[in-house]
Amino acid sequence: MKELFPRKQVMGFVFSLVLTIVALSVYFLNMSFAVGMTVLLVTAFIQAGLQLIVFMHAGESEDKGSIYINIFYGVIVALLTVFGTLLAMIWGY
Amino acid sequence: MKTDHTQPLEYSTEQNNLNILGFWIFLGAEIMLFGTLFASYFTLVDRTGGGPSGAEIFEITPVMFETFLLLTSSFTIGLGVHAMRLLNKKATLVFFGITLLLGLAFLGFEVFEFFTYVEEGAALQTSAFTSILLTTLGTHGAHVTFGLFWGIAIMMQIKQRGLTPETANKSFIFSLYWHFLDVVWIFIFSFVYLKGMM
Repeated sequence: MKELFPRKQVMGFVFSLVLTIVALSVYFLNMSFAVGMTVLLVTAFIQAGLQLIVFMHAGESEDKGSIYINIFYGVIVALLTVFGTLLAMIWGY
Repeated sequence: MKTDHTQPLEYSTEQNNLNILGFWIFLGAEIMLFGTLFASYFTLVDRTGGGPSGAEIFEITPVMFETFLLLTSSFTIGLGVHAMRLLNKKATLVFFGITLLLGLAFLGFEVFEFFTYVEEGAALQTSAFTSILLTTLGTHGAHVTFGLFWGIAIMMQIKQRGLTPETANKSFIFSLYWHFLDVVWIFIFSFVYLKGMM
């Protein structure tokens, strides 16, 4: 039974629960918008990295170089889309 | 097809490796798709017209349940892949089954949430904000729904054919999809719900 629950994945799950609880503090504690957004950005991106490495095994095969380049490319395009849109449509430049 | 026995089943043939890399490239495109939805959401979030704002309709309890259900399902499918590598067919099927049940419970909460929104006067056509909100949540929910059917098909194949290089490859690719949906949910949870309620 014990072999079915590898330590690495159990620790990963516990850590992801902790990150979620930290993110929830934004709602339950009183904090400014800037501090809250910083907490959310940090917890969300750590959480995504955790899933990618611990659960999706992104770095374990020979193709890991291609996989990481492809994911970074996807993330960069997504971030440019989001922040480019904010820049042009909301922040008013 | 040449089989490499030093690797886990899902990586054991050249074709399998290509399938996994191909699916990662698809996930890269999915990241961009959700990027455009988030860009539209942040643009339209204050355009509430005569309808309610996020702070007025979001409720923390169902969102917390949804988050913990999906996080746990992401963990259990990880355990499923681990059991698959130990060639434990029964445990693989049990973990995949638990994953799909958690996914179904998640969808139940989401459907309930959508009904509540519509009752509170936040339907798809109410305002730019409600349109993009329901489109973003709905795109994620549709992915989960598709995943449920895909997962059931995978479980049936494992049951019938056992753990072969093909079924292991398909199961691993499905696990990548499921984890990806969890990652997308984390961003929805943080930047749609928590940001909206802050």
